[in-house]
Amino acid sequence: MTEAVVPGMVDAGDHACLTFTDTEERFDLVAAFVRDGLRAGLKVVCWTDGAGADAMLAQLSTRTVRTGPAVYRGQLTVAPFDRSFGDRGASAMVEALGHEVESARREGFPGVRVTADMGWATGPHAAAEELITFEAKVATLFNDGRLCLICQYDRDRFDAVTLAFAANAHPKTVAAQVYHEHPLLRICRQYSPPGIRVAGQLDYRHRSVLAQALAESRRLDRHMHLNLTGLDYIDGACAGLVVATAARLPASRRMTVTCRPAVATVLTLSGADAAPRLRVLPAHDQP
Amino acid sequence: MTSPDRVSRQPAAAPPSPAADVDQPIDADGLYALRATLAAHASRHGAPAEQVHHLVIVASELAINAIRHGGGAGRLRMWHDETLFYCQVTDQGPGMTDPSVGTTPPDPTNPDGGRGIWIVRNLTSDLRIGPGPDGRGTTVTAAIPRKGSVDGH
Repeated sequence: MTEAVVPGMVDAGDHACLTFTDTEERFDLVAAFVRDGLRAGLKVVCWTDGAGADAMLAQLSTRTVRTGPAVYRGQLTVAPFDRSFGDRGASAMVEALGHEVESARREGFPGVRVTADMGWATGPHAAAEELITFEAKVATLFNDGRLCLICQYDRDRFDAVTLAFAANAHPKTVAAQVYHEHPLLRICRQYSPPGIRVAGQLDYRHRSVLAQALAESRRLDRHMHLNLTGLDYIDGACAGLVVATAARLPASRRMTVTCRPAVATVLTLSGADAAPRLRVLPAHDQP
Repeated sequence: MTSPDRVSRQPAAAPPSPAADVDQPIDADGLYALRATLAAHASRHGAPAEQVHHLVIVASELAINAIRHGGGAGRLRMWHDETLFYCQVTDQGPGMTDPSVGTTPPDPTNPDGGRGIWIVRNLTSDLRIGPGPDGRGTTVTAAIPRKGSVDGH
């Protein structure tokens, strides 16, 4: 049975699966995993698919993970995963993981966090059976409780049967807490930087669920980050609620909203400029 | 941000409107489709992205106003001439009695409504609020300048 958990609930000895379609969500969850690992003094390894290492480092930095010093002191490794893995088979990845656990121990880290883009298994020579073998074999590595692994599966690249198997092979599945899920509107929690993420179209009909998400962020996060990058439309009723939430923050706290021009226009006309603790950033400044 | 100077309670049928680009009923479930339709029409007439946004924002706020305060439904028409996009919303509600509605900036600390018409006024060059065609309800006609427009039909 697979247990659904939010990022803060994965720990040493955990083997979790992260299936995603939205790259914002994927990078957010990975950033939270990396950030928490670095804070806990663990070694952190990020295996990207193809040439994605630089992009991953940029994404982590954007999401307030301090990658530079961590890479410099050898605590963080972000590297592309060898594409030929697909040929060499699942046992090679199990070996590579075993090697990471061992070298982290030698380097004096209390444990290692690894997150891997499993995209290699969709390559021309990779077979889904290899992936299945991998997920079954890797289980032994968790016995001494030093490894924590999150396997990332892009839902658009894997077939439904493989995804279903992957989900079952992992004791846990990592996902954002969702307040509202609909093809035209998604409101969920964001973990790094902490706040909420809203995508789609938002108007008065969903003002109460927005209020709930904002209230929770206000309670949990010192500085609130509203990622509205994927929001196409906001009405005055919801923009007014965002502005009022920021305007009512105590002087030591801030709200940062990242959004595209149409949403910025409505926020401005709803009084954003008159709320000193509110900062509205254009979405195109972020990768 | 300045508050628009023109506030009128005259009948709103001022601009001639023989051929509407969009003429459709408004209800809460149709708001997504309404926004998509308006954006598509404005884009087809060569409006740059910013104007398309403004038209969609204005039309949505007026439509939402009709749904929430104007009896739950209404009708939206959109047309254009060489210089302006027009957006007209009629409803069968109690009527907007205060002609100065939305002429003062909203209180940023107030989480509850009252921003719609202020937003509309700031994105339009002319806003006329009057009674509906048969004397009941409200007709609001907004004009949005077509600056930077590349075609004139």
